[in-house]
Amino acid sequence: MIEIILSVFSFLLAYVCVLTVTALGGMFSEKSGTIALSLEGCMTFGAFSAGVMMHILPANIPDPLSAIIVIVVALVGAGLYSLLLAVACITFKANQTLVGTALNILSTALAVVLIKQITQTPELPVGNSRLNFMRFYEIFNLDFFGFESVKFNWLIFIIIALVPIVYFIIYKTRYGLRLSSCGENPSSADSVGINVNKTRYAGIVLSGLFAGLGGLLLITLGAEWEFANGAGGFGFLALAVVIFGQWKPLYIFLGAFIFSGFKTLSVIYPSIDFLSNLGISSYFYLMLPYVVCLIVLMFTSRKNVGPKALGVPYDKSKR
Amino acid sequence: MNKIKVFFSSLLKNESFKTVITSLWCALLGLIAGFIILLFINIKDATFAMTTVLGNFMIFSNGADRLNYFGQTLAKTAPLIAMSLSILVCYKTGLFNLGASGQYTIAIIVITFLGIGADMPWWLVMIAAMVAAALWAMISGALKAYFNVNEVISGIMLNWIALYLANGLLTTNLSVWDAAHSEAYIIGRESGMNALIPSIGLDKLFAGNAVVGLGLVLILVVVLVIYILFKKTTIGYELNATGLNGDAADYAGMNKIKNILISTAISGALAGFAACLNLQNGFTSWNLTSTPPEIGFIGISAAFLGGLHPIGVIFSSYFIVHVTEGGSMITDFGFSPQIASIVTAIIIYLSGFVFFIKQVIHKYELKEEFNKISRTKKRRRKV
Repeated sequence: MIEIILSVFSFLLAYVCVLTVTALGGMFSEKSGTIALSLEGCMTFGAFSAGVMMHILPANIPDPLSAIIVIVVALVGAGLYSLLLAVACITFKANQTLVGTALNILSTALAVVLIKQITQTPELPVGNSRLNFMRFYEIFNLDFFGFESVKFNWLIFIIIALVPIVYFIIYKTRYGLRLSSCGENPSSADSVGINVNKTRYAGIVLSGLFAGLGGLLLITLGAEWEFANGAGGFGFLALAVVIFGQWKPLYIFLGAFIFSGFKTLSVIYPSIDFLSNLGISSYFYLMLPYVVCLIVLMFTSRKNVGPKALGVPYDKSKR
Repeated sequence: MNKIKVFFSSLLKNESFKTVITSLWCALLGLIAGFIILLFINIKDATFAMTTVLGNFMIFSNGADRLNYFGQTLAKTAPLIAMSLSILVCYKTGLFNLGASGQYTIAIIVITFLGIGADMPWWLVMIAAMVAAALWAMISGALKAYFNVNEVISGIMLNWIALYLANGLLTTNLSVWDAAHSEAYIIGRESGMNALIPSIGLDKLFAGNAVVGLGLVLILVVVLVIYILFKKTTIGYELNATGLNGDAADYAGMNKIKNILISTAISGALAGFAACLNLQNGFTSWNLTSTPPEIGFIGISAAFLGGLHPIGVIFSSYFIVHVTEGGSMITDFGFSPQIASIVTAIIIYLSGFVFFIKQVIHKYELKEEFNKISRTKKRRRKV
């Protein structure tokens, strides 16, 4: 019994952390005034770069060192990828929704094409781009309680520790307050000497780094990942969590629990007698987090508490 | 020499010419980026692969094959045109229809059940699918109008809900689900003969390719209707005004809520129409996937590459389908067909820079004018 509860808990906590870290990243970007629609793309690209690293890393490198290398690669990959969004949306004042969508498609397409090239398996059916990394599954998922089916990914503890750190950065540091001011009223922020574009660049790159960590956690939960699915829609859910959490770190952490709860339900329901006896299609459970998300957004969106300048490129001449 | 210069500067002042130039620029850069990626993958075959992508049906030496594949490319262009019109209508009203994939999926559910399950005539299936998709799109519109929910987020959520609805409803119903191929039965293959869009003799023009038919005529009519809607009618004008400044339009007596609902309904119906054009010519059907159909996102690139103009969309859609079809031909040489996705993604990315490119052209114009003025001043001084 304890084993089942712990195993459910490990699922739940893992999903919570994937959503939390990505949503916290999205919050940095949105607080600075840029819509974080490309979270899914950044997650995919971070996961892709880490996955490729795991694939090509020789086995004789000690475990802790290879774990660090993989984490760094995920962060750098996603950070660089998010720069594409920053350059287009800040320097060239492009439409943020359009560019975000483009980056989401691009990352999945790039991952599929390049993985096929790296793994050199032409006999794979079209669209199949799986990567296996059993060794890293063992490195990242540790067995704390001695049960065979319960494994905790140690990245989730890093991510939980990030929540208070992000809270501190946003509310107590100079950078956090400047970030918020650039999203609320960039003109007056500029008038007191804050470099709006620089702050926004930092916000987007931070969001990329966080999303990269989220993507890495997501793919290391299992021993393989199908990259044709991108990040499995987690980036979009994370964006919804940002809005539902009203752009506040602690609310985001709590909001992630709700969505992860329903996501976990879709994974574990066959093993719960009561639910599997209801005879409801598995697709219904897969649908649930999104339905709940829509209903929650319905009740939380009326009073618009988001950053005032969200989605508007900063134009100095309009001050 | 001077005449040519005058001609060019007058051309540059023309707004639609500017749009064409920027779109061509985006397409060209997208292709170059795709070529660079091909070079990375396989330097030996890259040039050949690129000519295949660009040539598409032209690579066949046989005339009949060429016509056949040209017809196929045209038949696949029609749904994309409908899709990009769907994006365009919403965009004119200031909304971003990222939920087009979901509306398309809902239409597919209706087409499959009515066309194969109930064996209804094609026009009835088409109307039902468009109505269902319009209603699905209006969920997003109503959430925006009444609850201020961001339509991008709700659209994305509805995409996933529609995806699981389609997977759940179609796979469990064995009268429409071909379990052996893990896809729904294709209309007109073994069942649903009545649901096929009639070919009206157009197939004979394309070496007997039966996928070409009335759909091509219908899509041109729809393009014309949308063009007239925004150019000549009150509704179109109101939609446009709401898009430019919703509150001001509301103040001027144009009901903002009504306009949002109308525009989402129209764009939903168009996304549904895209599904009809794709499925009701016996071409393809729903197969089990785990991500929303990509056509909704490709529609965005076609709409923006077409300069957000109903006529321009025809050409941009054709270009994208041409490249995508060409991309599907290079799989035999060890390349992934997703190369075409990369090219389209880069094109969407670059269409974001349109504003910047237009600014550069504008700066060039200003410079020209400044030069002209200073030249005349110099001349005067000499006199």
